[in-house]
Amino acid sequence: MLTIIIRSILIYFIVLLVYRLMGKRQLGQMQPFELVLTLIIADLATIPMAEVSVPVLHGVVPLLTLVVVHFILTLLTKSSQILSKFISGKPSIIINPKGIDYNAMKKLNLSTDDIFAALRECGYFNISQVQYAIMETNGKVSVMPKAESAPVTVENLDLDVDESFIPIVLISEGKYMKDNLALAGLNEEEVDKMVSENGFKGKLKEVLLLTIDQLGNGYIQLKEAEGKTFQAQRLVSK
Amino acid sequence: MKAFHIINLLLIVALLVVICVAEEVVVSNSLRDIQDRCLMIEQLVERDETLKTMNMVLAVDNLEDNWNKDESKLCFMVHHKNIQEIGQEIAKIKQYIAGDDIEAFRVSIECIKMYCHGYLHFMGANLHNVL
Repeated sequence: MLTIIIRSILIYFIVLLVYRLMGKRQLGQMQPFELVLTLIIADLATIPMAEVSVPVLHGVVPLLTLVVVHFILTLLTKSSQILSKFISGKPSIIINPKGIDYNAMKKLNLSTDDIFAALRECGYFNISQVQYAIMETNGKVSVMPKAESAPVTVENLDLDVDESFIPIVLISEGKYMKDNLALAGLNEEEVDKMVSENGFKGKLKEVLLLTIDQLGNGYIQLKEAEGKTFQAQRLVSK
Repeated sequence: MKAFHIINLLLIVALLVVICVAEEVVVSNSLRDIQDRCLMIEQLVERDETLKTMNMVLAVDNLEDNWNKDESKLCFMVHHKNIQEIGQEIAKIKQYIAGDDIEAFRVSIECIKMYCHGYLHFMGANLHNVL
């Protein structure tokens, strides 16, 4: 049994490494060839994990071979439009201003229910709100709404608003986020001061979250307490 | 594609090549060695018509020692079931010597040769094996 445990741990890390080598795209928007690889990898990994008489190498070699195949296919799809279309397919317009493209729908083996489900996922419950809908190569549907149904933007309203910035997490669950401190151009003393100024002196370990953006808009929350916003000095962008 | 990815790709390809070469060297050498020793033992049986000779005992002991040495290396690359079968046949032939059972001895030697030959045949990358 110990052998199975050790093998499982070993193969887990090998599969983890394989996925890391394949890149983050593998985890989200999968192209057809990536989906095939994922399915095969999952199956390959379980064989030497559960079967003690199979050498681990019999699982590792096919996994590594698939990584090489994946790299080569990625390289080919990036370098050649024709191969890219052959391997990954091409996006198809399924709804145009005239309505649903029946030929595209049949070609993609879609039903009207599938199209409506995809539109609802994008937040459109009525087909008359949609100008274009495109089936992407990874199977997701992108929707471009008609002008009258498009969400209102600040630009439409001609308002003057400040740019928004991504808040940087400085403390998470009582621990300094050292990389983020460097990104914000702050040191631990300055962050301690920030905590003290908000009435939580010496309670660093109790801080659940402390964030700040470039405009100095901060948010602090202690564990099991309500969060509050505060204004700190503007950060120097790095 | 970033240089990092290309380096990774080259490292993996190199690793696969090393594994293939190591398999070819270690497994082929070990199994061919076992096959040769079995052939030699077969010749001894043909010549002496008995199993109870010093040469035979020494030859089988050498075969067993050699197998025990190679077995752990082969475990990394060969399905353990195949290795186990060869080990079991070697254990049997030692018992056949004690009983001077020539026919059963010959069958076991033939089995060992067949397992070795079979695996060496499966190892080769040819159309027959691929399909």
